[in-house]
Amino acid sequence: MLGRPREYILAISVLAVLTLGGWFAPLNYRALGNLYLLVVIAVSLRISPVPAFVMAVVSGLAWNYVFMPPKRLAFSTVHLEDSLLLITYLVAALVASQLASLRSLSYRAELLAASDRLHRTLLASVSHELKTPLAILRAAGEQVDTPDAEKRRRVAHEMGSAVHRLDGLVNNILNQMRLEAGTLRVRKDWCDVRDLVDAACRSVGERLQEHPLNVGIPGEVPLLHADAFLMEQVLANLLLNAAVHTPAASPIHVSAGTTGASRHGPGRIFICVADEGPGIAPDVRGRLFERFERGPHAPADGLGLGLMIVRGFMLAQGGEVEVQSAPGIGCRFTVSLPAVKCEELPQA
Amino acid sequence: MSMVESKPDVLLIDDEPQLRRLVHSALSEAGFAVRVAETGKLALGEVVLRAPDVVILDLGLPDIPGAEVLRALGSLCSAPVLILSVFGEEKDKVSALEAGADDYVTKPFGAAELVARLRALLRRSLASAPEPVYCFGPIEVHLASRRVLRDGQRVRLTSLEFALLNMFISNRDRVLTHKRILRELWGPAAEDRTHYIRIYMARLRSKLGDPGGAASYFQTESGVGYRFVGRPPLAEKAAGPKSGGLAT
Repeated sequence: MLGRPREYILAISVLAVLTLGGWFAPLNYRALGNLYLLVVIAVSLRISPVPAFVMAVVSGLAWNYVFMPPKRLAFSTVHLEDSLLLITYLVAALVASQLASLRSLSYRAELLAASDRLHRTLLASVSHELKTPLAILRAAGEQVDTPDAEKRRRVAHEMGSAVHRLDGLVNNILNQMRLEAGTLRVRKDWCDVRDLVDAACRSVGERLQEHPLNVGIPGEVPLLHADAFLMEQVLANLLLNAAVHTPAASPIHVSAGTTGASRHGPGRIFICVADEGPGIAPDVRGRLFERFERGPHAPADGLGLGLMIVRGFMLAQGGEVEVQSAPGIGCRFTVSLPAVKCEELPQA
Repeated sequence: MSMVESKPDVLLIDDEPQLRRLVHSALSEAGFAVRVAETGKLALGEVVLRAPDVVILDLGLPDIPGAEVLRALGSLCSAPVLILSVFGEEKDKVSALEAGADDYVTKPFGAAELVARLRALLRRSLASAPEPVYCFGPIEVHLASRRVLRDGQRVRLTSLEFALLNMFISNRDRVLTHKRILRELWGPAAEDRTHYIRIYMARLRSKLGDPGGAASYFQTESGVGYRFVGRPPLAEKAAGPKSGGLAT
């Protein structure tokens, strides 16, 4: 708190240099006052509060003594208010800078703790989640040379599903890393909602086949201005969630539309993925979009990254995601983006 | 190296030995004569030695950047190029397709899928003269007279809609990037007006009664373009189903 002698020496020598420089510089006393203010703030960010406070008071007095009119090198009582005001400014600046540095410290500590937690969870869940399909592959690999053709076909199918699952996990880990590293590039383009849903269904693949899929997208839904690749990942994650968190044969509904269109603007375009599964308990809903959060009844596979990616990708595109759920009835995820009017087509 | 004349000659360029081995065996079994190269330099040497019928190129080679290999390949031979792409490198994939690559598969891919894509590329590079009538599903397209029939009924397409359909037919089973479609139909100034394509695709699909979803004749490749997969109803199943199982 009191600071080390080095800090006082630094403060005083900086002030001395400033005062000497100010003496020869063709600047009026008000400009020099601003300069004092700047330098004190800059230095006080690097030193303890007490030397910073001393530096503030000394610089206010030095300014008055050296530069203040009517006479240099004399305390001016005419402009006493000016000096007091400067000292007040300086102290306020110091308090603010100290608060900021304290906050950034605690923020950094929080980040570190979160990242530590992340790494531990990542290690645990990745090793489990990635090893399961690997175990399947290995077991299946040892059985492919069976003479039984029917069994061989089944084994090959198991291998295919394991690879698909592994692929999805690795993709989500990569997505998550890109979000975390802030290297995500959003390339917005005009997208047809139906195309996005089709592509997402294809990438989820066979895990969707156990569920009847009702796609109801009215023809008048306008084009969406979004990153097609990110939207495909978002919808694929929502569809996959709906498929794995509900019993087989339970239907999944996909719908889309616009909302809030008015004279003032074109409103928003939304896409909904709804299921008829067990739903999400209210206490879990708040943490749903955190990484590695998984529902208490979640099935054995999955890393808990899906919804985190959904939210991250939607926010990156300037959109949002919300969830509605009633236990026992199902849940409905809605992603939405601001509608953007596209220019007219040239006459063909 | 002696080779049976009729076997299509495919050059596989990838630096992963295990992937080379597996793809080599899958392609040989499917009736291709396979040459492999593990670096860009070796690959270009192979091409100079003898031009292949089709090239499979991994973009992440250790010695030469993928885009450069692609350019060199284009100047050395006219073989179609299939890109092996990796998740997360969408931009590289799209720019490779725009720089002259003909198609892509994403790792991990299924052998069935790879073989189907290669056959499609070969079919196209062999068949230069287009058939006068192309049929897919209930659709009949009379290319010379620019007439389109759906279940025998005339479908009225505007000239741009027909041009789009025609472009798809002559590039069937291949990816057409948005940019390329826009450039060919609307000119270079329209290259980034993707809403033109979206609107025209929606009109074309509705006029042709496209079933949509997985059964659509025009498969959407997110952020890349479209792939026309409409096939004559009686066509041999040479291209095979797209259920490689391993496909992403």
